[in-house]
Amino acid sequence: MILCLITPLNDINLWALGGTGIIAGLLGSMLGVGGGLIIVPVLTLALGLPIHIAVGSSLVAIVANSCTAAGLYTKAGLTNVKLGLLLETATIPGAIIGGFAAASISPSILSALFGLLLIYVAYTMVARNQLASEDIAITNSASIRSDDADNSLSASLTDSYHDQNQEKVVTYKVKHIPFGLGFGFIAGILSSLLGIGGGIIKVPVMHLVMGVPMKATIATSTLMITLTAAAGAFIYHYHGDIQPFVVAPLIIGIVIGSRIGVELTKRIRGLWLRRIFGVFLFLVAILMFLKTANLI
Amino acid sequence: MKNLKWDISRLKNWIGLGFLVGIAFSLTIIGIGFIMLVYISGFSNIQSQVRLEQLPAAIIISSGVLLLLLIPIMQVILSVVFFSISRNRLFIGISVAVLCLAAISVALLLI
Repeated sequence: MILCLITPLNDINLWALGGTGIIAGLLGSMLGVGGGLIIVPVLTLALGLPIHIAVGSSLVAIVANSCTAAGLYTKAGLTNVKLGLLLETATIPGAIIGGFAAASISPSILSALFGLLLIYVAYTMVARNQLASEDIAITNSASIRSDDADNSLSASLTDSYHDQNQEKVVTYKVKHIPFGLGFGFIAGILSSLLGIGGGIIKVPVMHLVMGVPMKATIATSTLMITLTAAAGAFIYHYHGDIQPFVVAPLIIGIVIGSRIGVELTKRIRGLWLRRIFGVFLFLVAILMFLKTANLI
Repeated sequence: MKNLKWDISRLKNWIGLGFLVGIAFSLTIIGIGFIMLVYISGFSNIQSQVRLEQLPAAIIISSGVLLLLLIPIMQVILSVVFFSISRNRLFIGISVAVLCLAAISVALLLI
């Protein structure tokens, strides 16, 4: 047991850890996901680290990535803080239930079902054009003001941000809150069952179901991931599964990648971000099918 | 009642700054630990398991990591403070619920 933990981290591996961090940070911050889907395979398959060390290190790196991106997005006004907090009230109980359910459900069946769901969502993200995006977000300030007056939850979640790409202020209203909470709950269950951050579920739901513009969706998802990943990482820290010499280069790399990703996101059109995210989901779905069939 | 002085853009500024200051602090601590590690062991003599002479560097990096993990919790506490000042009872409740649920989930997983 001890022997398998003594993994040489020579100069090449340290650079590999830093490089993995940069790529995960770049993609994670641009797509509103943690980056664990990139980090865990590299640490286990390429560097030969045990899975629990890889997952623990990945969670810490995800916290570093999402904290950097969340800080920059929130300061730029993109994050809907209230919506993020509200959805967390459904996601965390879902994660708790998912944690208990994990023991009784076959992971291969779940992975296959999840892969199918991802393909459907990926298709929707890439193919559909007439959904809430920055291009068609609500900009009628009169309707927003009248909503403010009715003091409903939906009105209190109404938010706005300045879109650098379009050079205008985008104001939007959050729709279908009960659906969003329901999906948030399911996202929590799936994140515990499948060991994922949950961004790949939260982003499509917030964007496609709740009508939140893509940039605000990515920023809000990033804020939520900070909490979910930190809770998970505390447990790995408690069990001694976070190796300081593995996480240090990973964190330094991921923070650099995250800063570059945030700057790119601010300048790219929401529609393109949605398409990149759709392609990313397709790739994740294929990986899940290959894993279910024990091909990887 | 809406308190204009305490609108949501102020909270966004607080949280954004909180995240960035927190990450700068933790990254500095982790960076110092990493430089110390390379100084002690060189680039090519590092293993994932900590040796005795590397212990100070490991402790410094671990402290930075712990600080990093506390950053998101601090932001929720910051939200509770903000919503308390702006007297937004609904979101005081929601923020406190998030804190409690996160604590419960960690406690349950540790059992």
